[in-house]
Amino acid sequence: MQKELMQSKRTPSAFVLDPRTKILLVFIGSTILIAGSAGGVMNVIRPALALLPLLLFLMIGRFKTTIKFALIYAAAYLMELYLIPLTSGLIGFLIVALSGIFTRFIPGLAIGYYLVSTTTVSEFIASMERMHVPQSIVIPFAVMFRFFPTVGEESRAIGDAMRMRGIGFSVFFKNPMAMLEYRLVPMMMSTVKIGEELSAAALTRGLGSPVKRTNICKIGFGIHDIILSIVAIAAFIGFLLF
Amino acid sequence: MIELKNVSFSYSQGQKENGLHNINLTIRQGEVVLLCGESGCGKTTLTRLINGLIPNYYEGSLTGQILINDQAIHKLQIYETAKMVGSVFQNPRSQFFNVDTTSELAFGCENRGLPAEEINRRIAETVSDFKIDMLMDRSIFQLSGGEKQKIACASVSTCHPDIFVFDEPSSNLDIAAIEDLRKLIELWKSKGKTIIIAEHRLYFLRELVDRVLYMKSGRIEKEFTAKQMKMMNLAELSSMGLRPLSLESLTRDKKNVAQRWEDVYLSNFVFSYKNITPAIKIDLLTVPKGNIVAVIGHNGAGKSTFARCLCGLEKSCKGTLDLCGEICKRRDRLRRCYMVMQDVNHQLFTESVLDEILLSMGEADTAKAESILSSLDLLPMKDLHPMSLSGGQKQRVAIASAVASEKEIILFDEPTSGLDLRHMREVSDSLKQLQQMGKTLFIISHDLELILGSCTHVLHFEKGSVIDSYPLDDIGENKIMSFFIRNAQEPADNVNSLCI
Repeated sequence: MQKELMQSKRTPSAFVLDPRTKILLVFIGSTILIAGSAGGVMNVIRPALALLPLLLFLMIGRFKTTIKFALIYAAAYLMELYLIPLTSGLIGFLIVALSGIFTRFIPGLAIGYYLVSTTTVSEFIASMERMHVPQSIVIPFAVMFRFFPTVGEESRAIGDAMRMRGIGFSVFFKNPMAMLEYRLVPMMMSTVKIGEELSAAALTRGLGSPVKRTNICKIGFGIHDIILSIVAIAAFIGFLLF
Repeated sequence: MIELKNVSFSYSQGQKENGLHNINLTIRQGEVVLLCGESGCGKTTLTRLINGLIPNYYEGSLTGQILINDQAIHKLQIYETAKMVGSVFQNPRSQFFNVDTTSELAFGCENRGLPAEEINRRIAETVSDFKIDMLMDRSIFQLSGGEKQKIACASVSTCHPDIFVFDEPSSNLDIAAIEDLRKLIELWKSKGKTIIIAEHRLYFLRELVDRVLYMKSGRIEKEFTAKQMKMMNLAELSSMGLRPLSLESLTRDKKNVAQRWEDVYLSNFVFSYKNITPAIKIDLLTVPKGNIVAVIGHNGAGKSTFARCLCGLEKSCKGTLDLCGEICKRRDRLRRCYMVMQDVNHQLFTESVLDEILLSMGEADTAKAESILSSLDLLPMKDLHPMSLSGGQKQRVAIASAVASEKEIILFDEPTSGLDLRHMREVSDSLKQLQQMGKTLFIISHDLELILGSCTHVLHFEKGSVIDSYPLDDIGENKIMSFFIRNAQEPADNVNSLCI
């Protein structure tokens, strides 16, 4: 099966957010968690935001993911609270760095993962078009999602061909640059060719026409979107003021 | 109505061939026209003139006039032409723009800014016309080649063009998927659409076409009516470099004799993908050594998986290969076997043909490398970059590198997809040459003509197992003929089409 960057199929669930809300959550969540200071009202906002992805994953019934993120975050948070005062020197520095990075990045990553794993490519494209993002940005995005699995496919085929030819560690030790070349040259050749054929096919179906594109993908704001957006914006105002 | 008046075209990027010289052609509304001829005769170029890719996408010098309903389309923007002409191309992998099937069907209409209700209505209509409910809301990356080609046709159909242009649509399809394609073309013909098809495989179009244009070196050399074409026999067709008009007319090359003095044994080849019942399951299989073995079966029967396992590319497949007393486990198989892939570009790595051969040798031996090259007619190209060669030459370079590394078992994955008669015969000759060197060859192919022309043994796969294994003698010939002909009449829908 192919690895895909974003979903191509909708997974049915009662809790659905508009992609625009998810993007808002990713931006506000990661901004506050990374740039936000400690103390005051932030002591409430930051843990609340850190809990947000857990709530999101719980709502769609992804319990395993919820538990994984909860454990990682809890470990980092506890390290920050209890281990830092106990240690000093290099180890202390490492723990400060690690726990700092984890507590600040993990929730943002988790929201981002939620965005990617629950949004279909067409929903994402539709929401970009609704937000009046210009075509010159939307189309490269669409192509990127389309190309990601293709590059994976090609790369695997080339890897297989190299194994059959016995191009492996022995060549790598003798000449690492050659190894890189053997992988990249066929890769570029085939992706360029696929890209060329893809553009030709897209042009014959009217891509690039000056009329405004429509999109049949249904997206829209619901009650969940409104609640979460209000919470996120409130948190952001708190972040700006304090 | 499509009119071409004194049209000449040559590509700007140094391609001397493939241009067109002084084409005059009128195609009436509702006509089905077949363009045939050897590779490089200009039939693809002609299709590009009609769908507007020339001069909008492929640049070159164009003279003359191309009119569709009295509109000069070579002066229109390509999105204007797109409203009148729909195109289906050769490679199912590179003609979809979205990642899911439903968006793909909507794509053309969305680009034209049609209202969403109208698009949904058209999608529903196309889905019921094409009977593709099963394919809706799926990831395109999980479809088989035949299913992808169906989606490509459907997505063109939702745009409601009056003219359909096909550029070698059957190249990557198996016999059952070709039958599905034939039905779609039949459907459009019944709706009065104008259809232009450039193709090498002719048999499936026999009852559909109204007119056949035979092209050679950029000119329309001959023109036949459907009736005249059906009268032609195999010899006449082959003198023009054309593939047969019916599968029934093919016969085995009696000079190829199945040899059997030693056997190769394969045991315990079991492999499954995640969550799926075993993709292949072979307890014991005996294959005569030194033969050219055709591997046949439906799409999804496990032929490619078998090839990957035999080559040792699938780590979890633990089967053993008994090469006349030598037991080969996976790593040994990786060393002993080689696969010539369908897309041969994946397996050429170096900057010159000679380097490619030297890379495969344990110790670089230029004299030996050159003798291998000359045996495959590659010596004149030894200093050229492999990527600058033609498709057939690249394939032979890949074969030469397998010979250089002294591989004993060589597998071919669809070596003749999209090839014309002459190139198919070249492949067939290379296969026989390898056989003379004592190699055992496995050919995965849907090309009955190639199989009958070169193979000496047949392995028939069904649902991951070998259900039949027989020498290609008179009895074998009857068996394989009946498999292919029955297959050509059955729809592909009942076949397990999960693409793996």
